[in-house]
Amino acid sequence: MDWRWDFTLDVVIPRLWEAAGVTVYATFASFLLALVGGLILMLLKTSKNRIVSIVVTEFIELIRATPLLVQIFFLFFLLPEVGITLPPLTSGIIAIALYNSTLCAEVYRAGLQAVPRGQWEAAMALNLSAYRTFRRIIIPQSLPPIVPALGNYLIAIFKETPLLSFVAVGEIMHASKLIGSEYYRFTEAVTIAGVFFLVMSLVSAQLVRLVETYLQRSIQR
Amino acid sequence: MKEPKIQFEKVLKAYGDLKVLEDLDFHVDENEVVAIIGPSGSGKTTVLRVLMTLEGIQGGTILVDGEPLNVMRQGGRLVPAGTAHVRRIRSKIGMVFQNFNLFPHMTALENCIEAPVQTKGLTKAQATVEALELLAMVGLTDKRDHYPSQLSGGQQQRVAIARALAMRPEILLFDEPTSALDPEMVGEVLNVIRDLAKSGHYTILLVTHQMGFAREVADRVCFFDGGIVVEEGTPDDVFGNPQSDRLRHFLSKILEAT
Repeated sequence: MDWRWDFTLDVVIPRLWEAAGVTVYATFASFLLALVGGLILMLLKTSKNRIVSIVVTEFIELIRATPLLVQIFFLFFLLPEVGITLPPLTSGIIAIALYNSTLCAEVYRAGLQAVPRGQWEAAMALNLSAYRTFRRIIIPQSLPPIVPALGNYLIAIFKETPLLSFVAVGEIMHASKLIGSEYYRFTEAVTIAGVFFLVMSLVSAQLVRLVETYLQRSIQR
Repeated sequence: MKEPKIQFEKVLKAYGDLKVLEDLDFHVDENEVVAIIGPSGSGKTTVLRVLMTLEGIQGGTILVDGEPLNVMRQGGRLVPAGTAHVRRIRSKIGMVFQNFNLFPHMTALENCIEAPVQTKGLTKAQATVEALELLAMVGLTDKRDHYPSQLSGGQQQRVAIARALAMRPEILLFDEPTSALDPEMVGEVLNVIRDLAKSGHYTILLVTHQMGFAREVADRVCFFDGGIVVEEGTPDDVFGNPQSDRLRHFLSKILEAT
């Protein structure tokens, strides 16, 4: 195999390093948005207003039934048609966040359902307010199943960010394609991009595991 | 005549077509201990659940101290009860569940102070003093810092009783408090309930399958079947001289089983 270390060290790594910042930024920005968006979708979906609940349920179905790449293209090329022009990175983050918020909504719902009915009833019999019941009784008990699932989505989002290269966001995959076409050498750039994803995934997985252990110790005895 | 502490008037509770309580008239006097017995599906647990407002009713009225639970007076008219109204009446009632329903992420002591601090406006220190007295009363002072998973079933149920008492209720509801317990733990829980019943400070509704215990502590025994009170009276009358076929049949089955 024809691998050039000087090229790797002088060109590939510095340029990918810069692009890695964009990847990490896009990952965490979409993840945080998805966490909040998922909560909102879950609350709307379980709303007592039937129309709201049905519309949101159908919307979630629509998002989940279409590929993320199509949604990224959709936001990027069609939003300007209705007068909203966003930078590629912003529209890309929104697309990834939207897609994952539908998944997070399901995680929240499952987490809440894992808390036995008797806990709600005990809280009610003790006259706790709705807010206190959530804050003190329900949420602490639903976190242990929710957190590992959300952690998996963080890693999944991270691996979805290369899709943003299709709308010319300067993340790591886009940068490695550019290097490849500039120098007619793909081996080094694509390999280093792959290694970067591997390392980051392993690090994040370890992070998620740490948070899980911490939660297990502090909440569920 | 003094008004009853709790009064059910033509109460209807249905799940779809299934009527669990049908035109139920039922009352409990202040500081009276009433045992409710009956076959499963007779609606006896539902009586406690609708009184605790865990579930709504489809018809009739439930009054506590003469005040309706499900409606309130506003500008001379009766309107559906608001949250504040329901919570005020609910604060008079404490409930002990078949499956304890302790909060698993809190210690015995924390279980007992959570609600008093949030809803009675007590400081944590005040609530702790009271909770420790109650834990002492149920014989669990040394378990104050244990989590529910570290306690036996009988101990968990005693913590649950202390937790209910910490709200200083006037009415106590016991929903088959010993049904989920191993036989050797039934006694310790019944002892606590017996003390509460004998104290005369509480209006108590006890749903139970422990016929001997019901006969011992209750002022009155009500036999439920098909969502209505089929027969009621003093324990000696109900157990010693049952009038209806259904009660006789029920008691003979229970005796067979024991």
